[in-house]
Amino acid sequence: MASGADGVTRRTFVVSGAAALVTAGGGRRARALTARDVVARIQAHVGVPWRDTTVDTFKAGNPDTLVTGIATSVMATLDVLRHAAAAGRNLIITHEPTFYTGADEAGPRANDPVYLAKQAFIETHRLVIWRFADHWLARRPAEFTRALGDALGWTARRDPANDRLYTVPETTVAGVAAHIRTHLQIRGGLRVVGRADAPVRRIVLSPGTTDMASTVANLRDADLLVSGEPREWEVVEYVADTAAAGTPRSMIAIGRIVSEEPGMRACATWLRTLVGEVPVEAIATGDPYWRPAV
Amino acid sequence: MTGRELVARIQQKVAAEGIAWRTETRDTFKAGDPETVVRGIATTGMATFDVLQRAAAAGRNFVVTHEPTFYNDKDLTDGLDADPTYLAKQRFIAANGLVIWRFHDHAHALRPDPLIAGSARALGWTQYASPGDPKLYVLPPTSLRALATDVARRLNDHALRVVGDPDMRVRRIALGPGYGVPTLTADIDVVIGGEAAEAGGNAEYALDSAAAGRPRAMIILGHMMSEDHGMQEVADWLHTFVSQVPIQFIPAGEPFANAQ
Repeated sequence: MASGADGVTRRTFVVSGAAALVTAGGGRRARALTARDVVARIQAHVGVPWRDTTVDTFKAGNPDTLVTGIATSVMATLDVLRHAAAAGRNLIITHEPTFYTGADEAGPRANDPVYLAKQAFIETHRLVIWRFADHWLARRPAEFTRALGDALGWTARRDPANDRLYTVPETTVAGVAAHIRTHLQIRGGLRVVGRADAPVRRIVLSPGTTDMASTVANLRDADLLVSGEPREWEVVEYVADTAAAGTPRSMIAIGRIVSEEPGMRACATWLRTLVGEVPVEAIATGDPYWRPAV
Repeated sequence: MTGRELVARIQQKVAAEGIAWRTETRDTFKAGDPETVVRGIATTGMATFDVLQRAAAAGRNFVVTHEPTFYNDKDLTDGLDADPTYLAKQRFIAANGLVIWRFHDHAHALRPDPLIAGSARALGWTQYASPGDPKLYVLPPTSLRALATDVARRLNDHALRVVGDPDMRVRRIALGPGYGVPTLTADIDVVIGGEAAEAGGNAEYALDSAAAGRPRAMIILGHMMSEDHGMQEVADWLHTFVSQVPIQFIPAGEPFANAQ
């Protein structure tokens, strides 16, 4: 895929010329913008080298579609697509897959009614879906981590040397859990490893999937890990073992999607600096889980 | 009987069940000296530090664990050699003469899969098993809300999570073990398992199925709420061919506290 400022300019010019100019609301002439143009602009400005092998590609729709609006989302669920279509945001930039596998291949679901209904909706509403995962994740400082810290109201508490680490006034695991509940839209509930009354001052944020290496390194200097999606035979077992080992640490798992929503809102804010022609809006995917009252 | 001799007997029993021992397998010694004389056997869903303490206290020095001991699937210890938790666990294993052996791949190869059978037993669903499909359970029709509530109560599960319309009717359930949650498709109402990625799979399919007017659902129990129980089945199975030493199931239990 071509990238770089020259390529962007040339392609934008050619497409604009070919597609003619559209007239916006007050008669102001706006330059036609295709989905491909938006992606080229992202590639030119993302600030990390574009990878040869990446999941950041078009997943559905025609890349030459003229963009009327852009929606960012953690996951392009059918519900998110409906909200986007109703608001006239026909380019959806999603962080996670759209078609139920990591590679967005239909596989055994190629004739599945739910898969077909989603494809039909995309086609009927002429939506374009593009995934933005590898390169948004590769930016430094880490977008998802900073955005989650900001969403939790901890911007000023970020460690200048390690943007995953936050120091808060002394509280407890239960206190942080209550704080998280008031700041993030959690429906399915938090999962906690550790004692509710354990003291907390230093907190590690790990939105998305939480890996062992960074957890072991960061928990050395912290009391609590706030994780998106931890594996239960990795980080969960490790944090559980810290108590028996006499160096107790705690964890609050908030869910992968919930943990990534602030990062995709930040993505919309960043895109507004690159794309002035059309509205850019973040659409919440929402916590997929609920819990029965027992 | 040494640890090595015990494993040889397990391998013979597995072979007698018509299952070839894999050349590449998770089912290997993870800690301790295989020549240690076995005084007692503990089976568990996961050899957590807490489980090891209980096994040592009960004199079960040979631990058969379904899931890893050292926080990754291959039990690789690179990067852990200066970690205080890892070092304390290794010291405890050495000081108490424990031997840890993993029984995962070949346990799942047994028929019935003891991990699924144990999960079904804990849920009270053994009678709903389907003869033709080892994962399919057909229950009396109910709502997803009622099913999830019943499951959480039966397991005393504090971290059960559900994706799907609470009012949808459910009857056909695909029950998988641990991370092996069956793929949700149109001909299943709800899949149940221990742990699943939140993206690129069932969660998104369940959300979309509801939005498309063809609701399907997923219930995530937690990994140990799914697979711990089946290690009782493995203990029972070991009893059929090992009689010299006591054999005891020591549950790892749910790691999550209730934070509602």
